Amino acid sequence: MVTPVYLVVSLLGIAFALGILGKPLRKVAGVITLATMAFASYISVSWFMGLWFGEQSAAMVFTAGFRPPFSINLLMGFEEAFFLSLVNLAGLFGTLFLYRTLMKSGVNAFVILLILIMGLNVIIMTRDLFNLFVFMEISSIATAGIIILNPHQKTISAGFKYMLATGIVAGILLLGIIFFYHFTGTLNLDDTIRVNIEAWKGITVALFFILIAVIVELKPFPANGWGLDVYESVPGGIGMLISTASASAMLYVVYKLLPIAPPVFFQILTTIGIGTFFFSNLLALKQTHPNRLLGYSSVGQIGLITGVIGLSHFLGNQFGLIAASLLISHYLAKAGLFWISGILNKTHIREWSVIRQNRLLLFLFSLFVFLLLGFPPFPAFYGKWELIMQLAGSGQFFWLGAILVASLLEGVYLFRWLGYAMKLEAPAGEPLRVGWNQYIPLGIFGLATFVTGYYATHLSSYGSLINLIPLAFALGFFLIDFLPVYIKNTLAIAGMGFYFYYLYPDLNGFDMVFSAIFLVGGILTLLAGYAYKGKRIGFYPTALMMFAGLIGLVEAKTTLEFFFAWEVMTAGSYFLIIRGKKSMEHALSYMLFSLGGAYLILAGFSLASIGQSTIVLDILATAPLYAPLIFILLAIGFMTKTASIGLHIWLPGAHAEAETDVSPMVSSILLKAGVFGLIILIIRMGEQHLGSLSILYILSWIGAITAVLGNLMAAFQEDAKRLLAYSSIGVLGYILFGLALFSHLGWLAAIAIAVTHFLFKALLFLAIGGVVWRLKTKEMYRMGGLITRMPFTFISVLIGIIVLAGIPPLSGFAGKWIFTNAVIEKEWFFQGALISFAGIIAFLYCFRLIHTIFLGQLKDEHRKVNEAPFWILAPQYIILIIVMVFSVLPNSLLHPIGEMLKPYFPDGALTWQGQYATSIFGYWNGTWVMYVVVAIFLLVFLWLWFMNRKAYRVKQFNIVFAAERPFRPETTHFAYNFFAPYKKAIGFLAEPGVTRFWGHVSEGSHAIAELIRRIYSGNGQVYLFQIMAFIVVVYLISFGGF
Amino acid sequence: MHWFSLEYIAMNLGFLLILIGLWGIITRKNILRIIISFSLFDTGTHIVIVAIGYIRNRTAPILDTLALQKDTASKIVDPLPQALVLTAIVIGLGVTALLLVYAMKLFETKKTLDIHRFNDLKW
Repeated sequence: MVTPVYLVVSLLGIAFALGILGKPLRKVAGVITLATMAFASYISVSWFMGLWFGEQSAAMVFTAGFRPPFSINLLMGFEEAFFLSLVNLAGLFGTLFLYRTLMKSGVNAFVILLILIMGLNVIIMTRDLFNLFVFMEISSIATAGIIILNPHQKTISAGFKYMLATGIVAGILLLGIIFFYHFTGTLNLDDTIRVNIEAWKGITVALFFILIAVIVELKPFPANGWGLDVYESVPGGIGMLISTASASAMLYVVYKLLPIAPPVFFQILTTIGIGTFFFSNLLALKQTHPNRLLGYSSVGQIGLITGVIGLSHFLGNQFGLIAASLLISHYLAKAGLFWISGILNKTHIREWSVIRQNRLLLFLFSLFVFLLLGFPPFPAFYGKWELIMQLAGSGQFFWLGAILVASLLEGVYLFRWLGYAMKLEAPAGEPLRVGWNQYIPLGIFGLATFVTGYYATHLSSYGSLINLIPLAFALGFFLIDFLPVYIKNTLAIAGMGFYFYYLYPDLNGFDMVFSAIFLVGGILTLLAGYAYKGKRIGFYPTALMMFAGLIGLVEAKTTLEFFFAWEVMTAGSYFLIIRGKKSMEHALSYMLFSLGGAYLILAGFSLASIGQSTIVLDILATAPLYAPLIFILLAIGFMTKTASIGLHIWLPGAHAEAETDVSPMVSSILLKAGVFGLIILIIRMGEQHLGSLSILYILSWIGAITAVLGNLMAAFQEDAKRLLAYSSIGVLGYILFGLALFSHLGWLAAIAIAVTHFLFKALLFLAIGGVVWRLKTKEMYRMGGLITRMPFTFISVLIGIIVLAGIPPLSGFAGKWIFTNAVIEKEWFFQGALISFAGIIAFLYCFRLIHTIFLGQLKDEHRKVNEAPFWILAPQYIILIIVMVFSVLPNSLLHPIGEMLKPYFPDGALTWQGQYATSIFGYWNGTWVMYVVVAIFLLVFLWLWFMNRKAYRVKQFNIVFAAERPFRPETTHFAYNFFAPYKKAIGFLAEPGVTRFWGHVSEGSHAIAELIRRIYSGNGQVYLFQIMAFIVVVYLISFGGF
Repeated sequence: MHWFSLEYIAMNLGFLLILIGLWGIITRKNILRIIISFSLFDTGTHIVIVAIGYIRNRTAPILDTLALQKDTASKIVDPLPQALVLTAIVIGLGVTALLLVYAMKLFETKKTLDIHRFNDLKW
């Protein structure tokens, strides 16, 4: 091992050499600097590896030939090696990224960079307090020197504020250090750790000065205006160095000083850290400047890690994993994002749409956003998971909640930004130019996200249980994205088919039903993908990611696996949904509801794990504390996916604007994830009570109201796909109601409907999608008479709506019949009445689909329209066959489900004799119903045919039978605002009240953010005053007895 | 007690300078005056450091006479703060110099030294 003192020697020596020799070395200064930093990185990384694998023990370097306290000593331990590696690698790749800019600035730029990195190295290693002060000053001076390289006025004024702030902070630190020396007689940390600090009177003030100075260097809210201004004004490449290298080093100083800190300091750190995390993310909502936004996010993330340090007592032996994974995620993501910002060089986040010129950059941007937000498989996922688990276990609910809310706020602005980049019109301008020296650091950090994620998986306590193969399969499609659609589609179908085959022998019960919906259903909808031409870049990796997540839910045995799969599914489906042309805001609201739901699920799981020795899903059943609360948290979390009323507003847009084959995926398949979650929850936790009120009873009302309102809103839509989307809300309401019945028949109905909903919704979305594919419009009043042009699609839709509406003879009716029995059995008549009422409303919108689109007059422009593409029809007809089998032979579906339910609900099962089912209230025979209905249909059909032989055929433009005066283009279509009378009567129920509510929530938080961020007035003196006031207030609160 | 002793006066003076410096930094509008206030603040901390190392009736830790080289520890003031203050002064010099460079650059951009004119970055 190279002795650590060479870190200082090489960096400082080369900096001096470059400074003195200057001009002659101008051309090679960059290369020399890079080589030096590579050497420093090599030293620190080799120490890190050596210490990690235990081949090496920590080393202490004594300078000047004396032992401390008579000299300065440097420590190279495991933590030091880790932080040094972060700093030196940031220095190396940061310099590489800035290479061309720095070459233009001249030799001095390299000198300053070397000095900055050298300063940070010593800050990390030194065990001497005064030495710490000196090198903190050297680093700030170097930072100010780098800032001033950019001769822009804003940058200079930001640098000036920065210098003043760090100058004052350094003064306070110095005072603290000298008084510390006064009281203890030493400046050496190891010396002071050995003695009992509290024995000295008056030392608290000295310690306070030292610690608060270090904290202010971390830019805590609200004393951080100076830091934010710097982030905004400097180029991305420099912002990256401040956000990663400097911030990591300062974090380590906080950690290093903990042994001499009084106990109250931990509370201070927690409050300041998590407060900063929360407020930075709140204020960032109003940010539009990319670098300032990243600055807020940086400050917030560092705040979170500071808070974690403060909470370290509660985190047990997981502290290291949590802190390190959060830090690494921040480090990689911020480096990447600042670099991308440096390449794009835009001043408004809306202008980031230029990033689409370069797919690799867009990929990396999304990667870093997901990394930052702690999505799997990245390190922060495990960090956040363990953090929340440990906080729940130690009863720190306040901080748990604050962290989750703040993370959600972080999601708001990051996903909005990502949405802008993916969907907004790109502004005109120079084409993007990315140099090789910029690709290398970005690529390496991008790869590092996966590598560190892999290690975090194995380091976390239960991470190694997670099956990463489906996700890896999905991500592998990024590598073959250059292939044409039909190859990728075939591979995807083959992969999913194989996985189902592989799982099949182990599947039973609910797992079987839902894997069939997820995988077989997925294959059916993927078939439609053959209709696409070209490459469909980005579709397959994300679609398969969604399916990987879905099947992961079924496979999950532990809460961690379940949450992992849930997040993978969310990430994949987000990208699928945002593919739609007008999907930007819908994808955002989908993501936000999903994130919120995921955090509720996380909180629920964490509460359930309190006092339990494992994390298998069954701990839900044995949760000793807070069972009703756990139930509510999880139920709401899952209901964000089932789009129950109140949490449904993301659905219509997300499903309606999606691509033709994506709509059935997200509507008929993805929603079932929420159903599956609810089943897992209810089956384990059963009936929970809030006081004397049963939570299932509340859920039954939510289900019933969702069914009515969903259907009602569907009836008033003009957009065919939106209509289907709202109809999904309604059907999911039935399912929720069925599950809430918590009886054999209720669950039989719920699961049967879940299966049939998959069938008919996939069928309808594909059929209507085929119509939209050809007509290029989703507005129903622009359609009409298509029965002659698209007869096959017409048959699909006809069958689909018969199933949907639950009309005999098709399988939807079975659901209704069982439902009625279940309601009578449970005696929940009011909700039951609502459910039947909802069924009647369903007739209204089902009728519109067939009537408005396929009947009536053909439009002129549609006279030559063709039938939908073969590959969109093919899956429909496969589904039709399945529907027919289930309808003629209802016991083929219902009997297995009934058997599956018997272990859980032994009473009240249907008795089957062939296709003849008996409940305690009556009987029903699917086959005979089919015969009877078909017979009646044939009779009526023949009768009409016979009667209409001599009917007078009216030509299309013969208006002799019409008597209306059209005054708006759409009103010339009689089907526009078809249910106007109903709308007048009960339309108020379908008013977008919930949408308005969430709109107010959003506006409210933005308004608060706008108000609070005014404290950053831009005036350097105000910032300094804030720092001083912050210090005084913290002192008064922590030591002043307030 | 020793209210009028040297170390007390020095210490109080040091803190007074620190406060005057802080007050100046926060209230003055002219950037040069702010920098001067910063120097006062800095000097204040230096005086405090020296005052802390002072021990009554002892002499400076400069071992130039033979008498001092015997029983040195009981004859000199604490040498460490004196060494530290030198470093602190050098760093202070560096910071002040860089602040002045910034002042110059700021003046070049807007032809003014009024700090209220440099509020472009905010929120």
